Amino acid sequence: MNPTDIIDWKIASLTNGSQLMMTDEMTSYIEQNPEILEELNFIELFWHNKSHEDVQPSAQLDANFYQMLSRAQAAQSPVKESDKHSTLLSFVQQLFVPKALVQFASLALVFTLGFNLNQPTIGDKQQVGLVSLQQEVSSLNTMLALSMLEQSSASQRLSGVAYSKQSDLSDPLLVEKLMGLIATDTSTSVRLAAINRFVNVQNINTYTEQLLTLAITEDNALIQIALCRLLLNQGSAELSTRLKGLVKENKLPPEVDEIIQANSAVSFT
Amino acid sequence: MKNTLIKSIIILSSLTFGVANGAEKNYSLPLSNPSEPASLKVELYRGTVRVIGYQGDKVEITANISVVENKDLSAKEKKITAKIAKKLSQHGQTKTRSIEGLKAVNNSMLHLEIEEENNEVEITSESMNQYVDLVIKVPSKSSVELEVYQGGDIHVEDIQGSLELESYQGGITASNVSGPLVAETYTQDIVINFSDFDKASPTSLTSYTGNVDISLAKSIKANVNVQTYQGKIFSGLDSDFIPNEDVKKQSKKGKKQKIVIGGMMQAKVNGGGQELSLITYSGNLYIRKEK
Repeated sequence: MNPTDIIDWKIASLTNGSQLMMTDEMTSYIEQNPEILEELNFIELFWHNKSHEDVQPSAQLDANFYQMLSRAQAAQSPVKESDKHSTLLSFVQQLFVPKALVQFASLALVFTLGFNLNQPTIGDKQQVGLVSLQQEVSSLNTMLALSMLEQSSASQRLSGVAYSKQSDLSDPLLVEKLMGLIATDTSTSVRLAAINRFVNVQNINTYTEQLLTLAITEDNALIQIALCRLLLNQGSAELSTRLKGLVKENKLPPEVDEIIQANSAVSFT
Repeated sequence: MKNTLIKSIIILSSLTFGVANGAEKNYSLPLSNPSEPASLKVELYRGTVRVIGYQGDKVEITANISVVENKDLSAKEKKITAKIAKKLSQHGQTKTRSIEGLKAVNNSMLHLEIEEENNEVEITSESMNQYVDLVIKVPSKSSVELEVYQGGDIHVEDIQGSLELESYQGGITASNVSGPLVAETYTQDIVINFSDFDKASPTSLTSYTGNVDISLAKSIKANVNVQTYQGKIFSGLDSDFIPNEDVKKQSKKGKKQKIVIGGMMQAKVNGGGQELSLITYSGNLYIRKEK
């Protein structure tokens, strides 16, 4: 039993239109992990947000909706040719196979657009709605990422890191979790994926000292190199000098020096 | 949920069961829920593991255990053993007492623990002074987690469940698998033959100096990511590898350009699919596709 099982049960329960019985095992698990209740409440709230479903969307919103739908479709396993012209409802039902959080995220995206964006307003209100929607989706992705990063399977934790890429790093809990993975995860693959998560972060300076400390205390050379590469990517001459100094003090492996040299060689003014 | 009832525990010991040094023992372990997928977790300090998927509902184990003499230890292991002895000595745990009238007895007790609970099978041998060769047959849809610290290789075949494989000194080979797979070696190669590819979760293969060699069945759809600092990349894919990080960055002043070294490159196979990442420091990467 894990959080995914509970979430799957909740989704199945909602899609069936009636509350499926919660097993004793689930009850016991939720009692031991009360934080999952928040997730369940969020999903339920999400589901019941369809109160605006009778409102017809504008042409532009309709187009946006189908654009997002097509993205969600691309993220799924291939859809049969004959299904391409089926109804929206059947497509949504197709997405609702309650076995993967990935599918749930796509579904949530579609439903959010379908039910929350269909407001009979234009202009600024629409923009505000979009921003609010983006925040909700980001928050949902953060929640999914956090949930998957807790899993015992390394592959699922990799999925969690992939989900974190669809969320901004404004949630300190997510950043803390990713830093925790870099520092102590048992799988090098997961640790490298977590490091790569920070590659395109704009305010990487915020995490420089933390990442540098991790690089120094690390004994896995591949992780050290990946961390140093991430730091060098900032292009800070000062940081480059600090890293060189740490190599000289044998606090970083000689391979890092090679990376610094290569980095310096191709950087030009 | 926390069912503490352990369905089956088998402890092999040369002293209690009379296992001769190097003798082969076979066990057939029935699963608690034969209709449900099983999971297998193996942790060995020293040895080899071969896991084979089959269309059965039991876990069949063949174990061959032998004592490792001090002379068989690597220099590094001898150093570690000496360090442990020194530490223990410092803590006063190995004070020498009189051995007058006593003769030395070789400590050749062999120990392997096999446990099954709710279809979760765990096999462990953490002793430094024994070498364990395991051949395990499991239902093909089982998920498998294998970890070997010293020396031996890991081999997996015909498994359609998730795989987590880690060998610190040995290599890893797998054939007719679909993943998701997370595999890691330090100096030895990882060679994987994918007959199918899991769509739900990513796969990642990592080695420091070992090569990573994969073969993909013709119909597999995947986003193949490669990253190596000093190794070479050889591809038999139809599609090209394209850097998936922005390689050129403009500084605030607009004068400086920067190229990121060692970033990932990606090739989409059959239009793309789930992520398949291959990462090494100096090992080569070989990506093959069945014709």
